[in-house]
Amino acid sequence: MAKTFKLEIITPEKVVYTDTVQSFSADGTEGSFGVLADHAPLITELQTSIFTVHDTGNKTIRFALDRGFLEVMANNAVVLTDACVKEGEVNVEKIRTEKDVAEKSLSSAGTAEEKEKALSLLKRANTWLKLANK
Amino acid sequence: MLSTREIKQRIRSITSIKQITRAMEMVAASRLKKVESRVLASRAFTEKMHAVLSHLVSSLEGSHPWFAEKEQKAPVIKVILITADKGLCGAYNNNIIQKVVKYIKEKAGQEIKLTLIGKKGYSYFSRGKYASLIEKYIPESVEKLGYGQMQALAGQLIKGYERSEFSELHLFFTKFHTVMQSFSTSMRLLPIDKGAFETKEKKTVGEYIFEPNAEQIVDHLFPKFVETRLYQCILESLTSEYAARRVAMIAATENAGEMIDELVSSYNKARQAAITKELLEVVSGAEALVR
Repeated sequence: MAKTFKLEIITPEKVVYTDTVQSFSADGTEGSFGVLADHAPLITELQTSIFTVHDTGNKTIRFALDRGFLEVMANNAVVLTDACVKEGEVNVEKIRTEKDVAEKSLSSAGTAEEKEKALSLLKRANTWLKLANK
Repeated sequence: MLSTREIKQRIRSITSIKQITRAMEMVAASRLKKVESRVLASRAFTEKMHAVLSHLVSSLEGSHPWFAEKEQKAPVIKVILITADKGLCGAYNNNIIQKVVKYIKEKAGQEIKLTLIGKKGYSYFSRGKYASLIEKYIPESVEKLGYGQMQALAGQLIKGYERSEFSELHLFFTKFHTVMQSFSTSMRLLPIDKGAFETKEKKTVGEYIFEPNAEQIVDHLFPKFVETRLYQCILESLTSEYAARRVAMIAATENAGEMIDELVSSYNKARQAAITKELLEVVSGAEALVR
């Protein structure tokens, strides 16, 4: 059996996932990458994106992540993110309203900062919807 | 001595007080359970973030503006105080308020700006002689404050700090330990205490790969760290509040029970006294007739 390592996905509100896994793939700021066991120590930023995990039972679990950070050290991977949702647990209606709000605030945004905030909210909503296949 | 009717009335009113305090205790207990799991989750998050930061900091070269003390002619200290919205939770509010008052007295001569979270702290400071120190009051109930709001608050604070509007940021909150024990404490949020991140154990720190680079990650991680700290402290305080309320209400329920016991026994005594008195009257009346 392939080597495994420990993965934790944590948000300020709760520990979303913690288990031993075979590999995962994520989107960093410099592009997407995969991590297997015995990876070199790494700290990186993650983008709002879909995060795919292959667990020890050869199952694929997908998560939608907001922006965050990843640390890999000594076969321990930790993902720290503002928000994260597992596949099949997306509240589509709520996200749709969030998307509408984000679109509205984007069109009414005055400063560059407001625009950036609205864009990140929109991206988050889109990623969530993508995970839900809607 | 009270008449039997008056005693009965008091028993009735205390019984209803007891029912109320018991209900409040149960409410506090169920809320405590809910918020306790949240505080534990957020602790896990903060601890992990702390660990990541310590790895980062130890491989950073030179000093980062987040650690540096801001040099100012008249240093302004910002204080954030977290209290409850309601009373009836023992010394919870008073303890933390007194801590802030003591701090203000210690720092006499320096400008202090207060940011208040929670109604009780506001009603204390807005009436006293320190009313002029209040800079901001967040009127939302502590219970309803979510991560989003803390993010917004932390964003404002960080911007203010970068513009040198204040030199230090202190947070006064109550740290939850167990249901019976919590500690009113304070913490310096800004500038960040570099010593806290220096790990004793020298790990394979030099070999870290940073993407895109360590400086940029630090720039993004520190604001996040301040946010999560703030959020975590809100949760710690909220948990302590419910714990304190629960303990206070248990004590109140017990006291009410004791009081009822005492009143019942004095009611019985009064009733017995009345019966004896009547009997005596009948007997002595009858005796008088016989003679």
